[in-house]
Amino acid sequence: MNIVRDSIAGTLESNDLLVKVSPAQDEGLELHVNSEVIHQFGAQIEAVVRETLSRLGVTNALVLIEDKGALDCSIRARVQAAVLRASDATGIDWEALS
Amino acid sequence: MSEGGDELDFSVVDPTLDAGERAAVIALLAECGLDYEENIEALVVCRREGRLVACAGLECNIVKCVATCPDYRGENLSLKVVSEVVALAHERGHTHLFLYTRPENVSVFAGCGFYPLVEAPGYVTVMENTPIGIRSYCNRLKALRKDMPRIGSIVMNANPFTYGHRYLVERAAEACDWLHLFVVAEDVSLISYRDRYALVAEGVKDITNLTLHHGSQYMISRATFSAYFFKEKGIVGDCVSAIDLLLFRNYIAPALGITHRYVGTEPFCATTLKYNEDMKYWLQADVSPAAPVAVVEVERTTATGVPISASEVRRLLRNERFDRIAEIVPPATLDVLLKNYAPMRRRSVELPPGASEAEGWQTLASLPGGSRQ
Repeated sequence: MNIVRDSIAGTLESNDLLVKVSPAQDEGLELHVNSEVIHQFGAQIEAVVRETLSRLGVTNALVLIEDKGALDCSIRARVQAAVLRASDATGIDWEALS
Repeated sequence: MSEGGDELDFSVVDPTLDAGERAAVIALLAECGLDYEENIEALVVCRREGRLVACAGLECNIVKCVATCPDYRGENLSLKVVSEVVALAHERGHTHLFLYTRPENVSVFAGCGFYPLVEAPGYVTVMENTPIGIRSYCNRLKALRKDMPRIGSIVMNANPFTYGHRYLVERAAEACDWLHLFVVAEDVSLISYRDRYALVAEGVKDITNLTLHHGSQYMISRATFSAYFFKEKGIVGDCVSAIDLLLFRNYIAPALGITHRYVGTEPFCATTLKYNEDMKYWLQADVSPAAPVAVVEVERTTATGVPISASEVRRLLRNERFDRIAEIVPPATLDVLLKNYAPMRRRSVELPPGASEAEGWQTLASLPGGSRQ
């Protein structure tokens, strides 16, 4: 999926996260995670984000995460929403989102 | 409606249209020891049972005047109001945001997705809403770095490019092994950024030890130095130029290995004069962990006995004195002024010295930024 514009999804409320997606500055995927629970769950959050991006076929993007202790399902949902808002896709493969 | 009265009601108001809300916000800010800032385009206000309990202002991509009523602290109201103002900015097309706050409140905004950039010690801290903004900018600059002993720099608005700018660039390029020349990118000057940049590029193309850079949000922009663009309001506060100059010293100069910054002496404009004085302090004094950058003031060159200045060119432009302008700007600048900044003049018209078409200037004066630097 091509990222063609800046988008945001989510909030900074407790148990949620803010996801910002922008077109890549250089080739490839650049991901930065900031979290209140970075020491315990930083690696897990990053893995969930990367897996979600991979299932959506996003290979070139800048993704910034401000996490406030969200569950994995919230992370997936917010990343999906931000990517769909930032992409030029018209037909959405809902199977990939499940 | 909630029985407990804890419903928060967020709304967006235009402070120029809604005097009542504006007054309420000014009162809340005063309660928090903050001043209201002019130029705010939109205010997010948060009410509980009709009472204003939190606010946040937006000027283009700058978040200002964030306050929470002292009675309601500890409920993360600032987080909510900042989330709202970030969403509002995004809707208006501003994704890269800057925020001004007191140094002691940095931790509050660090929890809102903002990262500290620079602090004017004890007075104000500027933050941006990305962990990689200044870092990726400096990485792009590093690619253009020259490893030589004496690296000069000039930041110019060139509104428009004159023989005075040319003289300053020549002196700096002679004195340095390499020169990095930046053109202020903020597009609020009489001459458009596109024209200013093109005229500088044309005017310095024969100087071989020079890199011409586009300006950025991190130097003399609305975000780093908003007051520069509102000179008519008088002297710019110390902390305002401190932010701009410390960004230069802490990030831009180290990325490019800059050792010197060149500037023309300022005989006319009080704001620029103050900026030059501040530059000597913030770039050279022991106020930053970054190495000092030596400031070199070059005496302005003169034409017919008067120091050349871009503000003089703009004054002559208003009076259609193209004969006088031709004495102090290169031919390329004169061409662009005739083509793009003389609305009543047709492109095919040959220039009769001293010709008056004063009515055309009514159009120009009414353009946004027409009266600003």
